[in-house]
Amino acid sequence: MGDLTKIPQWVFEIGGYRLTLNSETLIMSWIVMGILILFAVVATRRISILPGPYQTIAELMVDAFQGLVHDALDEGNRHYFPLIITLFLFLWLSNMLGVIPFLSEPTKDLNTPLAYGILGFFIAHYAGIKTKGFKAYASEYFQPMFFMAPLNIIGELSKVVSISFRLFGNIMGGSIIILVVSHLVYNLVLPPLLNAFFGLFVGTIQAFVFTMLTLVYISVQTK
Amino acid sequence: MEYPDTTWVQAAAYLGAAFSVGFGAIGAALGEGYAAGIAAQSIGKNPGESGNILKNMLIGQAVAESAGIFALVVSMLLAFVVPAEAPLISAYCYLGAGLAMGLGAIGSGMGSGFPAAEACRGIADNPPTSGMLTTNMLIGSAICQTPSIFGMVVAFMLMFIDFGQQPLWPGWAAMLGAGCAVGFGAIGSGVGSGIPAGTSTAGIARQPAAVGSIRTNMLIGSAVSQTPSIFGMVVAFMLIFLDWSHVPAWPTWAGLLGAGLSTGLAAIGPGIGNGFTAGEAAAGIARVPDSSGPVTTTMLIAQGVAQSTVIYGFLVSLIMIFMPPTEYDASMTAWATLLSAGLCMGFGGIGPGIGEGMAGAYAVRRIARDMEVNVLITRVMLVGQAVSESTGIYSLIVSLLLLFVV
Repeated sequence: MGDLTKIPQWVFEIGGYRLTLNSETLIMSWIVMGILILFAVVATRRISILPGPYQTIAELMVDAFQGLVHDALDEGNRHYFPLIITLFLFLWLSNMLGVIPFLSEPTKDLNTPLAYGILGFFIAHYAGIKTKGFKAYASEYFQPMFFMAPLNIIGELSKVVSISFRLFGNIMGGSIIILVVSHLVYNLVLPPLLNAFFGLFVGTIQAFVFTMLTLVYISVQTK
Repeated sequence: MEYPDTTWVQAAAYLGAAFSVGFGAIGAALGEGYAAGIAAQSIGKNPGESGNILKNMLIGQAVAESAGIFALVVSMLLAFVVPAEAPLISAYCYLGAGLAMGLGAIGSGMGSGFPAAEACRGIADNPPTSGMLTTNMLIGSAICQTPSIFGMVVAFMLMFIDFGQQPLWPGWAAMLGAGCAVGFGAIGSGVGSGIPAGTSTAGIARQPAAVGSIRTNMLIGSAVSQTPSIFGMVVAFMLIFLDWSHVPAWPTWAGLLGAGLSTGLAAIGPGIGNGFTAGEAAAGIARVPDSSGPVTTTMLIAQGVAQSTVIYGFLVSLIMIFMPPTEYDASMTAWATLLSAGLCMGFGGIGPGIGEGMAGAYAVRRIARDMEVNVLITRVMLVGQAVSESTGIYSLIVSLLLLFVV
């Protein structure tokens, strides 16, 4: 059970401040980014009207997400589409990564989901202020009655907490279950099935949920 | 028999682990069972879509399972990870963490079942909308999980922050009270935000063109239904992080436990009641998309009024947290009055919250059909809500009497 709390760290001293980085999360994030960049290069290197296999996959994904973004956002805010699809691809690949031996999900570390939660929060509010103007944006905090303002602000902040902890809890939970059950059955029979369920199935759903909620938060702010 | 402190702390961690996954398993299982039942019924209705319905049921169940998975994470951490070489107050932190996560997962698990079930039913009735329904189901059940995530956040804080500076008396009651506040507080909001998620999914199956306004209404309705659980979380944070070393241990401990129970229990009713109102609002907009303006306004008014009992509970908690007794008093009457004040307001807040929510639900349903009588219906609704509020006000008066007069 020792694996549960093991956190590989890199510690730096920069200008009197001590920086502690989670080396596993960093390396895994870079692996995911590398795969995505490589895929993007391969898929777009020879764009033609008769698409090759990689271009077909890319077009399928873009098509699927373009529909979702068009349903959710108005004309003026559709430029958030690349952000939304990149967010999904990154989180999805991150959640898949744990299936491969010796690799682990960067989303298992709370810092990763929290970073993307905060990113989505700032983008949604920026889009809201830009679309509606600051006055209309601020007056929404005093709905339905003026004294509800503190609660509305806590409610907004709690969105960041809930969106990040939801992803973290599911991925962390999946990896704990895989670890504990594999330990109990001496790594026989069950682990591949568990990996398929928690890594492939739950991982895909939670990546999609995170992306859709970010999209919905932007769409609520801009309405 | 004398045991060393570490034995107590370790035992409390095991007990907390049992609370967490034991309570936490209730809701998710109920929700998933409901979804499976409706899925079976829908396949009977439209066997041609059986593959699609089965896929949707599995996705819905996987999301509803999240609340149970959160409970399992906290339980495993309590059983294997948290240190036993800790001051005795940690024993109560671990118990509180188990309660916060376990109780907190009940409502979310049950609530997530509603959208999953309605999506299966909708696919059987209107197969072309299946993509839209699955998306709405995922958004709805993900939002329903927010209250259980509040429970998980408080549980993590109780497990991993060092509370060595808090005195054992009355700190232990603050830690248990925090667990009760966020745990009980999440039950109502979890179930409540599941109801609009379910009715909005059913509404999209009926009226796919109005998907935008139905979803917006569902998001607003569930966000307001979650306010009671936010009250619970705020009380839990105050109980955990305020410094209790300068207050007399007796009878303050009863006040701290009472503060947690007061807001936690009182949040159950308004959470469920707000969910009823939001659910009918989403259904009404699906029936008459043009009614979205007046329906949303009336829904917000009804939900605001129905939340008054949790605000009373919050008020009683604040009084007990910020005006603790100034003198040491170990007599039984001193602690019994404080604890009863909390219990009185807590239980007293459940009924009015649900009742006023129902009043709001039927009013909103009618306004969606004929918008011209909007003002008249809202007036009747407010009068009716005020009357059903009266029992909550009795509880508040008795609580205040117990705190200040007795």
